Amino acid sequence: MKKPETIYLITRTHGRRTHLLNPEDFNVMAKSRSLSEAVNQLLRSDYAVEISKLPSREVDSARLEMIFLKTLVDRYFTVVKDARGKVQEFFRAYAARIEIENLKRVLRAKHTGEPIDSRNLIPLGREHTTINFPALLKAENVEETVTLLKETPYAPLSGRVEAYRRLNLPIILESLLDKIYFERVLERMDGLVDVGSLRWLVCQEVDLRNLSLIFTLKLMDAPPRLIEDTAIPIYYKLRRGVVRRLAQGRFEDGGEILAGIYSGVLDDVSKRPGDESRLEVAISKRIYDNATFALTNFFLELSYVVAYMLLCEKEAKNLVTITTALDLGVSEEVLRSRIL
Amino acid sequence: MSISGRAAVTRGVLLRLREQLEFTKRGQELLKMKRDHLAAETNRLLAKVVMRKDLDRKIMEAYVSLKEAYLNLGYSGLLSQASTVDKMTVKVRPRSIMGVIVPEVMVEKVPEIKPISSPSAYKAAERLRGLMRELVDLAETESRIEIIAYELMMTNRKVNALERILIPNLLELIRYVEGRLEEESLEEFFRAKRVKQVIGREEK
Repeated sequence: MKKPETIYLITRTHGRRTHLLNPEDFNVMAKSRSLSEAVNQLLRSDYAVEISKLPSREVDSARLEMIFLKTLVDRYFTVVKDARGKVQEFFRAYAARIEIENLKRVLRAKHTGEPIDSRNLIPLGREHTTINFPALLKAENVEETVTLLKETPYAPLSGRVEAYRRLNLPIILESLLDKIYFERVLERMDGLVDVGSLRWLVCQEVDLRNLSLIFTLKLMDAPPRLIEDTAIPIYYKLRRGVVRRLAQGRFEDGGEILAGIYSGVLDDVSKRPGDESRLEVAISKRIYDNATFALTNFFLELSYVVAYMLLCEKEAKNLVTITTALDLGVSEEVLRSRIL
Repeated sequence: MSISGRAAVTRGVLLRLREQLEFTKRGQELLKMKRDHLAAETNRLLAKVVMRKDLDRKIMEAYVSLKEAYLNLGYSGLLSQASTVDKMTVKVRPRSIMGVIVPEVMVEKVPEIKPISSPSAYKAAERLRGLMRELVDLAETESRIEIIAYELMMTNRKVNALERILIPNLLELIRYVEGRLEEESLEEFFRAKRVKQVIGREEK
């Protein structure tokens, strides 16, 4: 028997889901002849208030991206606000993916000492994070940034700084951040109702993130040992042995190794050799397909809320893709193939 | 107005004019050599510019990859990925070709793209990095051609000016001075003879 607050949260999420744009909306936007035409269609959505604040001559895809990301943050933290008790703790941990992305952005910039300010981050309000981002932005280098994170859940980063310096690869720190994030999410999941479907949704995402990480490192010809060590050590369908085989095998053999586990993920990539950039789209598509599945099959469970959050993310990504494509003059055909 | 109109007619001037003519002819030879060398250098550089067409095609391919990365990551995401890559450093130093100062561009540091953690951004960066050296080479070649072509034009003008104006004028002047000096020596000779005749007549 679910607690009333959990039922309330799921019911509210059902209502909020109706605010999401549907695939037809994306198709109509993709057909737009200009950015302003696409933006006009958003004036009937949740983005209307923020977009209408922008003077029409200042509308460009970079500014719109920030609006989409801000709306995503608002949607995430509305869910967190509506939840109570342990469920709230879980969703707070889940929403930390935005904080993680911002931390990654800070670390990437500190890697080369490139100037970075709050405009380069996802607009995450101070009330939604315990990390002192203004201090991190002022840090001189990665070491100082990691030192500033000592009293936070990201303290284990200091243990990997040496390996990062030796290999000069920020991806080592990024994968540790993902590990910390997913471990916290899974930890907060314990004791909740509907753990089965929640675990299915979250752990599949971990597997798919691991696939993305492994293939990215393979693309760089990273040694198998490094790939194995960098992978997030949370194994669901993608067992440790499979990770090892993927790390040791060739990029082209990936499809064969993944047969029966995540078949089809690499189909689009293997159809076009040399176009590995499709990997990101293929993996994101799979993550959001899982969310859509959860939305229709677990509609009275907490995983419905997680699926909603994932679909908010998908919407933001699709809108970023569409507005960027219209700004860059990408053809409708290419754009359609990129919509998740 | 002819140069001869302004020249003083003395043996010293004639000697100086002959020296000047010699010097000018040597200068003309040197300028011709410079012109030939610069023309050969331009031809060599023009052969390099042919790669521009191929480079344009590669740039378009890289641009497509870059667009894909933008579509996948958005502006802020791609900017963040790009911040992991060090800037490329090049050193531009002057080099002299027959006295013409042209730039020589040396790539000191090629950016390391391995810190990029997104496949699409990595692919775009890989393509763009491969092009950077060729782009620098092309820029160096084109700027050299521009400088050398200008210098070639100036050298050509100088050679033509020497060949068609200065040397003919000097030759004309020398001929004039020689003629005048010959006339003067004849006059002197005639005057001496007359003086001798007058003195001889008086003595008789």
